[in-house]
Amino acid sequence: MKKHVLTFAIMFALTAAVSADTIKATVNGMVCGFCATAIEKTFKKQPEVSTVNVDLKDRLVTVTTKRGQTLDDSKVKRLLTNSGYSVASINRAK
Amino acid sequence: MKTKTFLTLITATILSLHVEAKPLSYVGGLMLMQENDETGHTGSFDYTFIPTNAFGFYAKQEENGKEILMLTPEFNTLLKRWNLPDGQGNIFNMSGAGLARYHDNNQPCLWTAFLADYESRRWFLSYEPRFVWDGNIEKSVWQRARIGIAPYLANYNDLNTWLMFQVDHHPAKHDHFVATPLLRFFYKGYLFEIGYQSNQHIMVNWQIQF
Repeated sequence: MKKHVLTFAIMFALTAAVSADTIKATVNGMVCGFCATAIEKTFKKQPEVSTVNVDLKDRLVTVTTKRGQTLDDSKVKRLLTNSGYSVASINRAK
Repeated sequence: MKTKTFLTLITATILSLHVEAKPLSYVGGLMLMQENDETGHTGSFDYTFIPTNAFGFYAKQEENGKEILMLTPEFNTLLKRWNLPDGQGNIFNMSGAGLARYHDNNQPCLWTAFLADYESRRWFLSYEPRFVWDGNIEKSVWQRARIGIAPYLANYNDLNTWLMFQVDHHPAKHDHFVATPLLRFFYKGYLFEIGYQSNQHIMVNWQIQF
């Protein structure tokens, strides 16, 4: 039994370690879809990024990273600033 | 003849570039802009190298007055930006120095413009004064204001539509005041505008972000 629990724990830890991040950034100033294209293009250039979704209604940029990779908050903020916007908050989920 | 026709076509294509929109893209981004209206054909091609600055090429073939051709490099600067939860306000400066040509008279030229805008998902407001010095050909001041409303609130992946009204004041032109109701459409990185001007010109603008 102990062996099974240990195996399960190791598997769980490994899965968590290589899973993708979902980063949800609430963005100020993001009101124009034409301008928000900048966000999509900027994030898609990053090797860590798998998908980018821009939601103007909720002012939300959702970025999914590739498995086992992540973007730290400072990089997310820098990329959004380079796109012309400012960050109100960042939330993460595995 | 063929060479001349080809050069005319190339020149016309280049000179039909420009649009009344933000003069900056994102870092590493390219913008190709076009404006064709009663003032002539204006175009620019810009590269944004830092969040607050873009560098590019500007060309204008003036009409409705002296038919001056201007060719200059262009330097665009974001002077101030307000990123608000429900809107964004900006003040930009755009400037260039280069060559103006009127008939066979070539002159150095300078121009600078300030663009102030505010945009929410529903409303758009902008004002742009522009100062142009074309050596001994002409010195002119020009200003433009715009107001716009979005009839529906589109999201990022939707076609965005705006109803806009533009007023131009350019004392150096034959028609000093020109009013233009126009429609603006954009989808992701593609923007298109069409309007009918009070001096019976059709305005067609477009912009692409790469």
